[in-house]
Amino acid sequence: MTLDLARIAGQIAAMVADLHPDDQRERFAALEHTWETIDGADIRSRLDGAKHSFLLPAPQDSYNERHPLPAPREAYCVAATDGSFILPSRHNPARYYLLNTGLVRLEYGPEPRALLDSEPILKFGEDELMIGSPVHRIPVNGTNIGPKRAAEELRAAANLLADAPEPALALQDGTLILWALETLPEPVAAWTLPGFLEAMAWFRDYQIPLASYVSAPGTREIVNLMRIAICDYPPAGKKINCDECRGRILSEGHSPACDIIPEVTDRFFFESIEPLEPGERSAIFQSTSQILDRYCADGSTDFRIDYFYLNVGLEIGRVEIPHWVSKQPELVDFVHWAVYDQCERGRGYPVALQEAHELAVLSTADRLVMEIAIERELARHGIVLTYTGKDGSKRGRFV
Amino acid sequence: MAANVVASSNRSGALRHGEVIETSTVGFLAESDRLHHLPQLGELVQARIDDDLTAYAVVSFGETSGIDPGRRAVRRGSPDSADNDVYARHPELDHVLRTIFRTAAVGYAQDGRIRHALPPVPVPLHFGVQPCDEDDVRAFCERTDYLASLLAYRGEVAAEQLVAAHLRWVDATLDDDHEWLGRACRTLARLMKRDYDRLVILLESIDPDNS
Repeated sequence: MTLDLARIAGQIAAMVADLHPDDQRERFAALEHTWETIDGADIRSRLDGAKHSFLLPAPQDSYNERHPLPAPREAYCVAATDGSFILPSRHNPARYYLLNTGLVRLEYGPEPRALLDSEPILKFGEDELMIGSPVHRIPVNGTNIGPKRAAEELRAAANLLADAPEPALALQDGTLILWALETLPEPVAAWTLPGFLEAMAWFRDYQIPLASYVSAPGTREIVNLMRIAICDYPPAGKKINCDECRGRILSEGHSPACDIIPEVTDRFFFESIEPLEPGERSAIFQSTSQILDRYCADGSTDFRIDYFYLNVGLEIGRVEIPHWVSKQPELVDFVHWAVYDQCERGRGYPVALQEAHELAVLSTADRLVMEIAIERELARHGIVLTYTGKDGSKRGRFV
Repeated sequence: MAANVVASSNRSGALRHGEVIETSTVGFLAESDRLHHLPQLGELVQARIDDDLTAYAVVSFGETSGIDPGRRAVRRGSPDSADNDVYARHPELDHVLRTIFRTAAVGYAQDGRIRHALPPVPVPLHFGVQPCDEDDVRAFCERTDYLASLLAYRGEVAAEQLVAAHLRWVDATLDDDHEWLGRACRTLARLMKRDYDRLVILLESIDPDNS
């Protein structure tokens, strides 16, 4: 054990005290008041042409509605997939990457049944380890494999539900917004996005709802919206201009009205300020992430991602759905109820996602088995595997 | 060593309890084909080693738990939904739980002859474990000297409990008006003549009239 905990114990206490939002309690009243008086039409007009840097939900007529848990279904089917990977290592003479996807399909009702499986995909060779054109080649690495994994997970979920009884739901872990593409070069998007959107289209074409579940979401889009709603600069009814407002802090000692809004997450907001009851969900909001513009290459908004917050009993989770799902109230009701039901069966987290994760995760033993298999195959070709200095030093530690 | 004639050849395939997942000279651990379905404590089972060699073993322990040792079972039911309802509500449990049973080797059949001794080699991993029918039991248990090795068993279950369970199971299987049980008890009395207290505990726990 190399961590000397005693030397940082004091700092841990200070850090935790600093994290606790209790000191912002007097600011919660402002947040609460803003939420209660939020005016959809005013927000819409003030955001049109506004200058700000907040990630906000798209303007809509009503923000603060809430919906109770819909009536339960007697029977339904849910599929979940989750992936993990082994990345190419320059310490290993065999260059490859491995994607392992956990597959789960659960059917509830008069004849309950389960399918649990995993699907490993091995990629090797120059063509598969390099992304892009011969001019601009990017090696597969820990960052750009993320969206590829998401595309594989979605494809696998579609395969799982190809012959599913109705109603059926596909569940994914985390977000449906491929945030990583924001900073990754174009060839990575070309490598990952078509497959992802193809799977998205499959769900739409077969009208099987797709949703993702984010546990402990760290997003602040709704709280950011409160900053817009409370903004008094320029006076209500005019366009927001954060640049000018912030500029006056230094020049004139101006105090922006939105500073009263506390630094809390949407999760905290729906947990403590405007608490959702167990089973209750918020309104549906539309993400304005720029990445989603790339989901609309054919001009359709079907694949833009919308979301709502849901009290699953143990916490406030964020559920993301494609726009074509959120346009159909009966599908939204099904997703709302099914995600809650999954969390209830899974003691706070969707049981199908739990099992998919268990099947996907590659343990140290799994990685060792893979290494041994490669080592044996190399030996069959008369190649003795030699470790690099660093790798060898980790395998045979000495003093 | 007893040398009885094998009553019926070993079956493989359709009818089986489970599959060997750990094996050694003294017995094997098997995973049941169906969750919660395992042979009874004390039941005689058989496993083929090769075409001419079959091992006989007595079930000495059973357990149902998570396949992944890192995942402990948690309460799933409630006053409104219990027992089998829990499994209907969680169909994935059939895939993440498993039932296993351990056995103690008590003999083998080779070239048609039964021997009350440890088999010459362990049962191969992943081979099936089959039940013994009444004829198999009659042939294997004809002589009762193998009870000595069961009495020497060291494992999760006390040897007297294992022997008592085995005697109850054979007695119920043979349905011979306790003729075999009487002989087995006399063998035990001889084997345990220096350990009267243990013998009494064992005999009292057999209690054939209430079985």
